[in-house]
Amino acid sequence: MSFLVDSFLSAIRLMASLDAALIEIVAVSLKVSFSSTGIACFVGIPAGFALSTYEFAFKRSVITILNTMLALPTVVIGLFVYAFISRNSVFGTYDLLYTQQAIIIGQCILIIPIVTVFTLSAINRIDKRYRKTALTLGANPIQTAGIILTEARFGITAAVVAAFGRVISEIGISMMLGGNIRGFTRTMTTAMALEYDKGEFVLAVALGIILLSISLFINILLHYFQGKMPE
Amino acid sequence: MIYSLKHIKKNYNGRNVVDIETLDIEAGCTYALSGPNGAGKTTLLNILSFLSIPSAGQLSFFNAPVVFNEKNLRQLRKSVTLVDQHPILFSTSVYKNIEFGLKVRKTPKNKRNDIIASALKMVDMTAFADADARTLSGGETRRIAIARAMACSPDVLLLDEPTADLDIESRLTVENNVREIRDQKKITVIFCTHDLSQASRLTDKKIVLINGQVHDIYHENIFKGAVFSPNTDEYYCRINENILIPVPSTDKDKIKISIHPGMITVVGRKKTAPDISFSHKGRITHLGMEKDKIRAVIDIGIPISVLMEKSDYDSNGFRINDAVDIDFKRNGIKILG
Repeated sequence: MSFLVDSFLSAIRLMASLDAALIEIVAVSLKVSFSSTGIACFVGIPAGFALSTYEFAFKRSVITILNTMLALPTVVIGLFVYAFISRNSVFGTYDLLYTQQAIIIGQCILIIPIVTVFTLSAINRIDKRYRKTALTLGANPIQTAGIILTEARFGITAAVVAAFGRVISEIGISMMLGGNIRGFTRTMTTAMALEYDKGEFVLAVALGIILLSISLFINILLHYFQGKMPE
Repeated sequence: MIYSLKHIKKNYNGRNVVDIETLDIEAGCTYALSGPNGAGKTTLLNILSFLSIPSAGQLSFFNAPVVFNEKNLRQLRKSVTLVDQHPILFSTSVYKNIEFGLKVRKTPKNKRNDIIASALKMVDMTAFADADARTLSGGETRRIAIARAMACSPDVLLLDEPTADLDIESRLTVENNVREIRDQKKITVIFCTHDLSQASRLTDKKIVLINGQVHDIYHENIFKGAVFSPNTDEYYCRINENILIPVPSTDKDKIKISIHPGMITVVGRKKTAPDISFSHKGRITHLGMEKDKIRAVIDIGIPISVLMEKSDYDSNGFRINDAVDIDFKRNGIKILG
């Protein structure tokens, strides 16, 4: 028990001293997580809007596949992307393996379904009269979409926050596609795993505290936005 | 003519919700669109507001046939604004709600303020410009929705039951708003209503829709019931356990009837002549003027709307809650289906 207390106190001192290695790991984590979340929003929000608004063949099948992908294990995604970007594979010439881009690709696959499905759900929950009202006031499709997305903004923000929370805390993709290279692809979760393997708990505990703080902050945001969603 | 409808049909799941042979609507007039629930009023308003495409037929707007493609409809929608039965305001301020239609029409920013102020003044809601639209009451929401529609300066304003579910004060305010639009703006207004006295108060022109078709007269007191025939030349429609309405002969088991409100005899209990057998007893629950006649609603277990001559009303001295006897004249009852 004392080792945990000692590690905790040392971790606090490490954070207070703004340790360069610690900051570097946190920066890499935040960079890849923000990047993948940004890309997932760019793809997932319009996709969720399209799924809720337009009728097309196999729409239900697409929704079922997306729902299934919500439960996709990160190691499966890691393996899948590895098969495409490893040296001798289709995209091997792009030298993506063990880069931050590889982590971002894998994380996008992980959270695009989250953003899409949650956006779809948020838009389906808002009143259908918003669309009709925008149309009768003369709005074009883009202006109508703007009204609908604005009305669903709290639900969509909750989707984005949930997606960020998922990628900041995942380890499988970062480890398999990033390779845990110090100063380059070492994220908070992969660094914690490594420090645990080494039996060095101070940095691991410090990173754990930061990760938990981020998770707490994300949850506070999530509850705030969910509280604002229409009944 | 602002609208001309020819052979317009609208199908939902194989059922003709609207089936209009011909209907012409004059520009600058106010119309009351009446009819029972399910008559197709809202569907017709959706077609007239270019939000819904008819399944068949020809619709002309300002004497030009309407081409039903999205680009053309979007352009036409800028001339027609529909206010829903239960309008919804965007989750922002009242000001921004009204501004939306102006932004869509690319109205210069310096002109928007005046237009919004004028629209709010028209519905007497100037003080609410900065209010959060979600905090407004039902009546206030209707008035802001009307202001939002009017700020767009439409050629046609369509109102779907603008006073439904409102208290009397809010109803009168909305009626005044409609009256002001009618008198001052000189635009075409079409509003749905079940309230015939409201229709009479606000307009002389009526469109009556029953089962999706335009009718010359408005059928009131519409009820469904089973046919009961104690002998071969007497037929009744049983509305409920205690109410039997005499009807013309029919071979159907279940029918929908309408009772003409002017073909119902009402006599105060004290004045009942001994030689007249009145079929139903009830109480007056509503009294109101309708042009030169008196409209009463009498509760006989079901509400019956009655239109009586003023002289009959005066001679009987009817008051709300008076106990009365009523009788239906067989020739005032029509089988609708």
